[in-house]
Amino acid sequence: MRDKFRNLPLRIKLTGISLTVNMLVFLINIVLLLAMNNMSDKIDTVYRANLQLNEISAALNDVQESMTEYLDTKTSDSLENYYLSSQTFTELIDNLGSTITESRQGRMERSIKSMAEAYLEEVGQTIDAKRGRNVEKYRTRYEEATKLYGYLNTYIYSLNNEQFKENTENYREMLSAFRRFEVVGNIIMIIVIFTTTLLILRLTTSLIRPLRSLTAMANQVAKGNFEIPTLPVKSTDEIGIVTKAFNKMVVSIQDYIEKMRLSAENEREMKERELKMETHLKDAQLKYLQAQINPHFLFNTLNAGAQLAMMEGADKTYEYVQVMSEFFRYNVKKGFTTVTVGEELELVDNYIYILNVRFSGEIHYEKEVDTSLTNIEMPSMILQPIVENCVNHGIREMMGEGKIKMSVYSLDDTLCIRIEDNGAGMDEETIDRLKNGRPANDRKMDSNGIGMDNVYARLKLFTGTDDCFSIESDGPGKGSRFTIYLDIKEKSDV
Amino acid sequence: MKKELKRLNMISIWVITGILVGLTGLLIVFFISFNRTLSRKGSEATYDKYYVMISDDSSSSFWQSVYSSALKEAKLQNAYIEMISENFSRDYTQTELMEIAISSNVDGIIVTDGEAEGMTELINKAYSAEIPVITLINDNMQSDRLSFVGIGNYKLGTEYGKLIIEMANTKTFPGDTIEVTVLLDAGSEDSRQNVLAAAIQDTIKSDRNENADAHLPIEITLAAVNASNTFSVEESVRKLFISDKESTPDIIVCLNENDTNSVYQMVVDYNEVGLVNILGYYDSEAILKGIERDVIYATLFVDTDQMGRYCIDALNEYYEFGYTSQYFTADSYVIKKSNIDEYRKGEPDER
Repeated sequence: MRDKFRNLPLRIKLTGISLTVNMLVFLINIVLLLAMNNMSDKIDTVYRANLQLNEISAALNDVQESMTEYLDTKTSDSLENYYLSSQTFTELIDNLGSTITESRQGRMERSIKSMAEAYLEEVGQTIDAKRGRNVEKYRTRYEEATKLYGYLNTYIYSLNNEQFKENTENYREMLSAFRRFEVVGNIIMIIVIFTTTLLILRLTTSLIRPLRSLTAMANQVAKGNFEIPTLPVKSTDEIGIVTKAFNKMVVSIQDYIEKMRLSAENEREMKERELKMETHLKDAQLKYLQAQINPHFLFNTLNAGAQLAMMEGADKTYEYVQVMSEFFRYNVKKGFTTVTVGEELELVDNYIYILNVRFSGEIHYEKEVDTSLTNIEMPSMILQPIVENCVNHGIREMMGEGKIKMSVYSLDDTLCIRIEDNGAGMDEETIDRLKNGRPANDRKMDSNGIGMDNVYARLKLFTGTDDCFSIESDGPGKGSRFTIYLDIKEKSDV
Repeated sequence: MKKELKRLNMISIWVITGILVGLTGLLIVFFISFNRTLSRKGSEATYDKYYVMISDDSSSSFWQSVYSSALKEAKLQNAYIEMISENFSRDYTQTELMEIAISSNVDGIIVTDGEAEGMTELINKAYSAEIPVITLINDNMQSDRLSFVGIGNYKLGTEYGKLIIEMANTKTFPGDTIEVTVLLDAGSEDSRQNVLAAAIQDTIKSDRNENADAHLPIEITLAAVNASNTFSVEESVRKLFISDKESTPDIIVCLNENDTNSVYQMVVDYNEVGLVNILGYYDSEAILKGIERDVIYATLFVDTDQMGRYCIDALNEYYEFGYTSQYFTADSYVIKKSNIDEYRKGEPDER
């Protein structure tokens, strides 16, 4: 039964509810109306007894009058009238009660009935006497009858009065009861309307509840939360269908999102791989570049030369060759792609020494180093090529004393390594060329082969940004400034 | 939680439906009970016999007392007795009422004015219509009445006489004679009053014969009180007081309730308390109060309950056995200040 109701379409359910409620209200209304109708009918009958008595009184009058008329005129008309009226009177009298009751009215009715019978008897005898022309007799009879008529009239009048009094009382009572009932009926009606409204509210709420939970779920979905339980489907009405569809939709959306997520993951993995490939490529390139300047052979031979110089007792030559060897060893050690700033500076020291031996102390090398920063790591073979560039293109082409100044300092989190010369300087075009690594056509054979473009490229690979290296010059003949910017990173962090 | 909520909802739906059904039920019950109150006439006690009582003043508490006792007795015998005069919106004489009672074919008539003019014929007429008639207080010996219920009038008179002598012995009176006025009903040629008055005179006379010097001589006058219409009693009584201070009697003897009340009122109104002594009749509350306040010296009363009972018993016996005793005499008592408390205690429920 309940399931049957559940599976009805929503339209029929709602109609059913309103129909039931309306029927209920209608029923109560009918009861009220019937009751009120009944009461007003009763009230209408209150004075019926009085009416009846009035009729009796009128009939009594008729009897008396017709009798008198007959006695006066003795016409057959009046006799007929008498018969008719006495007939009516008898019929009316028959309706009166004849029991001795507790109530005065009942007793009065009984007495009136008896008296009326006695009166009719008397009247009948009077009429008979008249017909028999017994003047003496009919006169006394007539007097007797008239006396009775008087008593009877008074009796009826009194009863009428009595009844009227009581009926008025009854009427008032009934009327007040009627009013009371009206008030009670109205109150009940109001309560009924109120409660039926409540009932409708309750029933529709229970009908709509799945719809509301559906809405709540839909809102969740709209907010992007797909992790919701499937809604229970309790009926096969419209709401049930919608709920089912919604459940399906949520499930398929979840599937779709899962698929999307998987494909996104795949894509990301592929990108990562690509990126890794690129770095490996860069690595390879770096290694290749370093391989270009591998001075294994030189280092070995220099080592042998140093030993020879020591055996011959040529100390200066030994030191020179030793420094040379150090210099080249550094190159041999280049297997470590990153070195510390200190190591790089040492290499520059060695290089300057070699050059000063070669060019007989032509270059003034000045250092201003924040020693706390020497442990910071950087790519190898960076500073030496720059210094070499300063020497080859700056100082050598100038007249007078060449100066190179190396300063290492920190600027916030950035390590700055600056190399200055007072050499020939550069124009904008040269700076641009140096930075972008276009091969210099005038490459000297005494360089160790590493160009500025390589330096810049490696720095860029190491730091991952373009702003790691700057070349400045105040113009031709006014010297140049090379500055390297590195993030301060302790070696131990690597 | 949700299940709980749902259960609550379900319960509330049932409760509301229950309320609606209950209301409808209530409405129907209310309607039925209402209907019942409207048509409550339903079953009413009915009786086998219908007796009628005819008295001159149906509203006097004396007759009411007789009537109520008769009604009580009648109901025990499954009969109903009615003061027929109360049925009418106009006043009828006792003879007229008698005629009405006969023509309404009642089962028994109790009439108090047996000596009224034309009553004999009417009683005979009733007898021929097989309606037994009982005369109450006033007899009609010539008629075919069934029986007579009355007071021993001579005995009553003797009581009054004794009371007068008692007063003469105990009280002091101004003047050289004690003037006693006996109020009689002017209208009726009521032998009862005459018997009473004679009895009073006889008692006093015999007392004087026995001990003449014990008190002042007692002079008895009979005063007629016109009771023919509604206000005449009071007027007649008033005459006694306003005519002449000298002639205001020392003792007034009243032979019915109405006279007693009137005289009592007059004595109070004319400031004659203590000067005029009243011997009353009947034991209405007003009269008992008068005794307590020393305005009324004593009152005689007849056992009205007994009277009413005798009437009904006579009728019953007649219907049961075809005959009954011709005479019934009700007892009479004296109430004075000395025994009024006892009396009140004795019959608290009678009134």
